[in-house]
Amino acid sequence: MEEFFQQLTNGLAVGGIYALIALGYTMVYGVLKLINFAHGDLFTYGAYLGLTLLTSLALTDRLGFALGVLVLVLMVMGLVAVLGAILERAAYRPLRESPRLSAVVSALGASIFLQNALMLIYGARFQVYPDNILPTATLNVFGLYLPLMRVLIVLASVLMMAALYLFIQKTRIGAAIRAAAIDQGAARLMGIDVNRVILLVFLMGPALGGTAGLMVGLYYGQINFTMGWVYGMKAFTAAILGGIGNIPGAMVGGLLLGVIEALGAAYISIAWKDAIAFLVLILILIVRPTGLLGERVADKI
Amino acid sequence: MKQQLLALVAALGLVVGGATAQAADTVKIGLMAPLTGSWASEGQGMKKIVELLAEQQNAKGGVLGKKIVVVTEDDGGDPRTASLAAQRLTTQGVVAVVGTYGSSVTEASQAIYDEVKLPQIANGSTAIRLTEKGFKHFFRTAPRDDEQGRMAARTIGKLGFKKVAILHDNTSYAKGLADEANALLKSSKGTEVVFFDALTPGERDYTAILTKLKGTNPDVVLFTGYYPEAGLLMRQKKDMNWKVPFLGGDATNNVDLVKIAGKEAAEGFYFLSPPQPRDLDTPDAAAFLADYQKKYNELPPSIWAMLAGDGFRVMVAGIAGAKSTDGDKIAEYLHQDLKDYPGLSGPISFDAKGDREGEVYRVYQVDAEGNFVLQKL
Repeated sequence: MEEFFQQLTNGLAVGGIYALIALGYTMVYGVLKLINFAHGDLFTYGAYLGLTLLTSLALTDRLGFALGVLVLVLMVMGLVAVLGAILERAAYRPLRESPRLSAVVSALGASIFLQNALMLIYGARFQVYPDNILPTATLNVFGLYLPLMRVLIVLASVLMMAALYLFIQKTRIGAAIRAAAIDQGAARLMGIDVNRVILLVFLMGPALGGTAGLMVGLYYGQINFTMGWVYGMKAFTAAILGGIGNIPGAMVGGLLLGVIEALGAAYISIAWKDAIAFLVLILILIVRPTGLLGERVADKI
Repeated sequence: MKQQLLALVAALGLVVGGATAQAADTVKIGLMAPLTGSWASEGQGMKKIVELLAEQQNAKGGVLGKKIVVVTEDDGGDPRTASLAAQRLTTQGVVAVVGTYGSSVTEASQAIYDEVKLPQIANGSTAIRLTEKGFKHFFRTAPRDDEQGRMAARTIGKLGFKKVAILHDNTSYAKGLADEANALLKSSKGTEVVFFDALTPGERDYTAILTKLKGTNPDVVLFTGYYPEAGLLMRQKKDMNWKVPFLGGDATNNVDLVKIAGKEAAEGFYFLSPPQPRDLDTPDAAAFLADYQKKYNELPPSIWAMLAGDGFRVMVAGIAGAKSTDGDKIAEYLHQDLKDYPGLSGPISFDAKGDREGEVYRVYQVDAEGNFVLQKL
């Protein structure tokens, strides 16, 4: 039983990261009906930019741990958000009136470009975060080992997701985003600047994805230029699992996928872990083609 | 036109004639090495080592009373270039060939040498299939991949571990090593394999796997994959406050391992690897390394380059022992009569397939400073 709960917490920690990345997929899909395949690479940029800022500015040395990491998170969020906006401007906006397939191909191209640019800048070897930044305390709760950082990462993810949800549901700008998700033409007639809404979506999604990248770098220590592919795939799956276009769905899908993987590894087979996760996805899609929470896709965003 | 052609043929004849006339008082040994390409540093090391050894041997009177000349060809670390290099060497009157480094590159040259009965001795090539093809003139100073499996099983026995968990990553190298060790550990009496499965390389979070492993309560975890995953496993194992020792294969021999895991988490990690050049323990090797340092002002790049030096010395011993430069006779001598030749990397004998007998692998452990320290077991 103890092992079960340990695996549950393991799964939630991984799932929190998936969920944070999945939000970017789901928001872009909600508004543009486009799968942004370059989103996983923006996640990787978050990890690399974080490492560069951390080592070149020595933030944690100057400002102390808590403030240093906070400043770092804000800087990475800002930079990756700008990157997301550039991506939208360069790769997606020129194709907005084209058939949907063109934009998907453009997304794949952008992904390959971003990945190779990173390799040319930083080299193909693994990059390693310094290992003395984060406190390494481990809590021991009823025999469960909970590294403090994992708890903080899950808490931070949930907080950010909740903030995003409230922003979309309770503010005027959020209402504009929801309106654009339902019908861009009608939203435009109501005086909503749809281009700005789309830009905003491409600022917020990458900001969250970049933060997830930074978290992975800080906590796991090791990053490389291709890691966005695996995480992107998983997060995309999580978005579909929860119901793509649906923000609470992305959260639920991410956490659930992490837990399914952990329990699948524990009780069935480690080597089949990913296969089990995808099998569950297929089964759910057969029963509920819109995903778990995907009933009224458009107005939930 | 015809006359010009005749003159050309005559000139060529003179050159070839001259070469054979010269060959009478020298013995030519070929060296095939990756002097360019991504393995160039290994190839350059091989060339420096073999040239220094040839110099020293000539100072002692060469072989069969003749001077040794080393003829070097670049294989570029590429199978296609290697077959061309091999063909060029076979036309230059060499009596034996040392090299080369990569298994696939060696494989591209094997048949070419065997056809003209030239003995070849490879140095970095560990793939099992190279000696399973039955070439009579092929030898290697490098260990075979399956020897590492045997070494892993033996090391676990020597360190006194009873319950073993084996984890691989489904690559053909790691799976092969894990299967080999698994079979040996299962059949040996004192040990029990409590876990055998594969992880997916390229992920970041292995806590689910570690939690499951911990549940089987092993004395040691044998991880046969590569250093990036090994580093993460150790880091996350430490976060779980789990103190089980880890043993890795030679794919974990990389300085980045310690960076990824962090010094504290990497401390105590055992791994198998052929010895680093500085850890070669024969007096012969120490003297040679000093000479090398004096001549080139650096240490050889790796053990694999040192094994080319051993290949060269074995070939010289083979020619001297067979009292002939005939390929068949040299090969026969190396197969049957050469026993425990004192190589730089330890005693060298060959079995019927041309594989090296005895152990080349050593056990290393990471110390508190993150250094790789040779273990005496």
